[in-house]
Formats: sequence, C-alpha cells, structure tokens
Amino acid sequence: MLKVENIQAFYGKIQVLRDVNLDINQGELVALVGANGAGKTTLLNTISGLMPKASGSVKFLEKSIDNLLPSQIVEMGFSHIPEGRKLFSGMSVRENLEMGAYPKRAWKKREETLREIYNLFPILEERSAQFASTLSGGQQQMLAMGRGLMSKPRLCAIDEPSNGLAPMAVLELFKIISSLRDQGVTVLLIEQNVKQTLEIADRAYVLENGRVVLEGSSGELLESDHIRKAYMGL
Amino acid sequence: MIETILNVVVDGLLIGGIYALIAVGLSLQYGVAKVLNIAHGEFIMLGGFITWTSYKVFGINPLLSVAICGPLIFVLGFVLHLALFKRIRMTSETEGAFEGNSMLACFGLMFIIQNVAILIWGAGIKGYSYLGFPVSFGGGAVFPANRLTTLAVAVIICIVFYLFLSRSHMGKGIRAAAQDPDTAQLVGVDINRVLALCFGFGALMAGLAGTLVSMCYKVEPTMGLEYTIIAIIVVVLGGMGSILGSFLGGILLGLIGSLVSHIEPGLTLASFYLIFMILLLVKPTGIFGK
Ligand SMILES: Nc1ncnc2c1ncn2[C@@H]1O[C@H](COP(=O)(O)OP(=O)(O)OP(=O)(O)O)[C@@H](O)[C@H]1O
Ligand SMILES: [Mg+2]
Repeated sequence: MLKVENIQAFYGKIQVLRDVNLDINQGELVALVGANGAGKTTLLNTISGLMPKASGSVKFLEKSIDNLLPSQIVEMGFSHIPEGRKLFSGMSVRENLEMGAYPKRAWKKREETLREIYNLFPILEERSAQFASTLSGGQQQMLAMGRGLMSKPRLCAIDEPSNGLAPMAVLELFKIISSLRDQGVTVLLIEQNVKQTLEIADRAYVLENGRVVLEGSSGELLESDHIRKAYMGL
Repeated sequence: MIETILNVVVDGLLIGGIYALIAVGLSLQYGVAKVLNIAHGEFIMLGGFITWTSYKVFGINPLLSVAICGPLIFVLGFVLHLALFKRIRMTSETEGAFEGNSMLACFGLMFIIQNVAILIWGAGIKGYSYLGFPVSFGGGAVFPANRLTTLAVAVIICIVFYLFLSRSHMGKGIRAAAQDPDTAQLVGVDINRVLALCFGFGALMAGLAGTLVSMCYKVEPTMGLEYTIIAIIVVVLGGMGSILGSFLGGILLGLIGSLVSHIEPGLTLASFYLIFMILLLVKPTGIFGK
C-alpha cells in the first residue's frame, strides 16, 4: 500500500536519512521505532510531502506521490497525524475535527464521520465547544487522532502519540490504535515507547541515525538482543 | 462639551471604518501570506481611480462600483500572487528570506502601479461629489452623508468577510493556514491556493477601501503610501495575524486620530508614528495580541 524506496534527505548539508526503505501492506499495523533524532519525523515529513527529499521515491496505492502537494496526498487517503499534536488552538474541539474533513471527498460526509469519531472518543463530544488548548494532554492527542481520522484515511501515520502522556493514557490510546487496524485502517505508528509499541504492532522497522538497522515481525524484534539492550534496558 | 465629544467620536468612527478595512486587508496579506505589501496603498489608489472612471465616464453609481472594483482587484491580487509571490516563496530558502524578498518585490510593484496610474489617469488630482449633503444628529452634530455611507459599507464588508471566514469551507482553510500552515496542509488545505486567495482578498479590501475613500476625498496616483503606513501601524496595533484585532485596531486608530486632530490637526500622523514606536518597544504583539 505504501512503498518507500531509497530515501535520502538533508537539512542544509547534514544528511538525516540514508537509503531508507519501507513497505506497508494493506491492513497492517507497522511500527517505526528509534531514539530521539533518529530521523523518524523527517521520514514521515518526506512521505507526506511537507519536506523535499534529495532522492528516492514514494508510492501510495501503486501511484507515485513524489511530486504531489501534501493536500493532494491527504485527498488520496493518507493521513499524517503530526508529532506534538499541532491542534488549531484558536478553534474549538468541534472545529478542529471539522478541519480534519477538509478534503472535498470527506467534507460532504463530515456530520456522519463526526458521529463515528465521537463514538470512538466520547470525551471529545463532551468537550466539543471547548477550545482545543484547554484539553488535557491525553485528550489533545485524542483530538489530534480524531482530526486525522476525519478525512476517512486508508492509511494513518501517527507520530509519537504517547509522548508526554501518563501510563494510563498511553494504554488507552494504544488500545484505540489497535482497534483502528481491526476496523481496516492501515497504520504506521512512530514511537520511542518500543516495548508497548511492539506489543500491538504486526511488524516494525528500527531507525538509527537515519538508517533502517533492523526490520521484522514484532515477535522477532521483541526477542532480538539488540532491541532488548538498546531500547528496553534489559 | 457633549457636542464636541460626539463630534470627535463619530468622526473617529467614520475614518476608523476605512482604516479597519485596509488593515484587515493587509492582515490577510502579511499575517497569512507573509507578504508585507508596501504597495497596499496602491491598490486603494487603483480602487479610487476605477470608481472615479466608472462614475465620471460611464455614469455608474460609486456604490455600485463596489461590484466592479472588488472582483477586478481581487483577480489582480490573486494572479499577482501566483505569478510573483508564489515563485519567490519557492525560491526563498527560509521564511525570513521570503519576507525580505517579497517586500522588495512589493516596493517595485508600488512604483509600477503608480506609473501605470499616471499613464492612464495623469498625475493630477481627481474627484467627484457624491452624497455630499449633510445629515444632522441631535445636539447640532452634522456629518456628510457620504462619510456615513462609507462607514456603513466598510462595516458590512468586514462582517461579510468575517462570516465567510467562520462559516465557509474555504474560509476555514484560510483560518487554519493562518494559525499553522504546515498542519493546515496535513489536513488537506492547498496552501498555494490559500495564500493566493489571501493576497487576492487583501487586495480586494484595499480596492473597496479605495472606492469608499473616493466618495469623500480626492484621489491621485501618489495617495497610497500614507494608507500603507496606516495599515501597517494598525496591523501591529491589532496583533499580527489577528483579523479581528486589525478590525478593532482600525477603529481605535480612527478614534485616536480624530481626538488628536481635534486638538492639533498637524499632529495626527505624528501621533500615529509615536503610537507605533511605543508599541514596538512595549508590546510588539499588539494590544489585542497574546
Ligand atoms: N528543522 C530542522 N533543521 C535542522 N535539523 C533538523 C530539523 N529537524 C530535525 N533536524 C535534525 O534531523 C535529525 C532527525 O530529526 P527527526 O526530528 O526526524 O528525529 P526523530 O526521530 O523524529 O526524533 P524524535 O523522536 O525526538 O521526534 C536530528 O538530528 C535533528 O536534530
Ligand atoms: Mg520525531
């Protein structure tokens, strides 16, 4: 469904992605894990069209999306839920959700989709009139996810949703993320929280210094010495 | 005493409506599209001349030329953004570089528009009289009907635009892009289109302000700069990127100007600069900014 080939990316002269390959099949929950500064967010930005890449190619649904604008990529059904939530702070919870339905194809169905999102995150319906900035951290992440789902994506890429959340909130969020996969949404989950992420993912890629150093099924990776030493402190 | 106060306040509101309109326009161009449009006043001048021409040459009622001026200048702004500023944006390395480069381009644009206007209309002052009769308020306060009309039209335009921003699909996209361009793109907003729209709407407001200005004052090719400066001051006063702030800031500056000119007319513009400098030193985010 998503095929990333040989991506290289730079900030000025500094290379942050080196020959990255990624392949995600329909219906999978694939994780991309790695430490701070490994290049995870940069990779996602080059895929969703926010950042130019030096070379390499990205195919989504068998079509090249290399020269498309982010808005066109969203229109195709790719939703990028950014790191740090990035809510529209001057808008209410409901308005934030409606913004998520901005693509023409989703806009017509926004009332209907809004109901589904409220069912998935009941707290958002309770707080619908509140400004987004007045929500708790966990609620803000739910709003970011709800907004990302309002475009009715086929693939949803979520960048570090657990960042800054209490363990209980992380647990709840991860439950919802695995339920997305069960509802047929393909998920790319970017995380530093390696153990919990591998527990819900089907497969994972490990990114270090801009390179994919390991990939495999979650089961294999949970057994790997490198993962256990470097990421789980065992 | 009461009469004087009423005079100062109404006078301030009358000019404040125009300030609000031009500042909301600049706020869209600078706050959202990041183009500090030094040529903003030239669009006001164009609006004034187009209205003058349609009245004097074709006999079209100045109020009706809102419907001619608006679309015409909107298209001019929209196309200018796609042809010029979009390219500068793509070739500028950083946002700071874009702001600098686009401002320089506007500087050139200012001279080009002025010279084109001189070629078409000549360098002289043009004017017409329209709704010049007085309307009296109780207590002896009297105001010309054309100025009351301009205030009403300016407020209506701002309200219509506010509804457009808060209700329509396109308006919501503009608001999102104003708050966070990257995230707006991630939810599906075509940023190039929104930036061009914002520049076009900014030009449209300037053009309509020009129509209103021409109903009360004379127009000439070099009239723009003073309005540009006032628009910049109001945008800073109201807080960068805040459209409501620009509207309120415009009204406020109108009131201040009216009060100062009641005391000493020669000091009005000087008092605006003073406010501007104090603001930059004390509260650069503007009085309505966070
Ligand atoms: N805007 C930028 N300008 C310059 N360098 C940047 C920029 N953004 C990121 N970098 C650098 O690129 C590298 C990769 O950053 P990136 O944000 O992709 O990492 P990450 O894996 O997402 O990290 P984290 O888990 O902390 O979010 C880092 O070394 C970072 O310092
Ligand atoms: Mg990151």
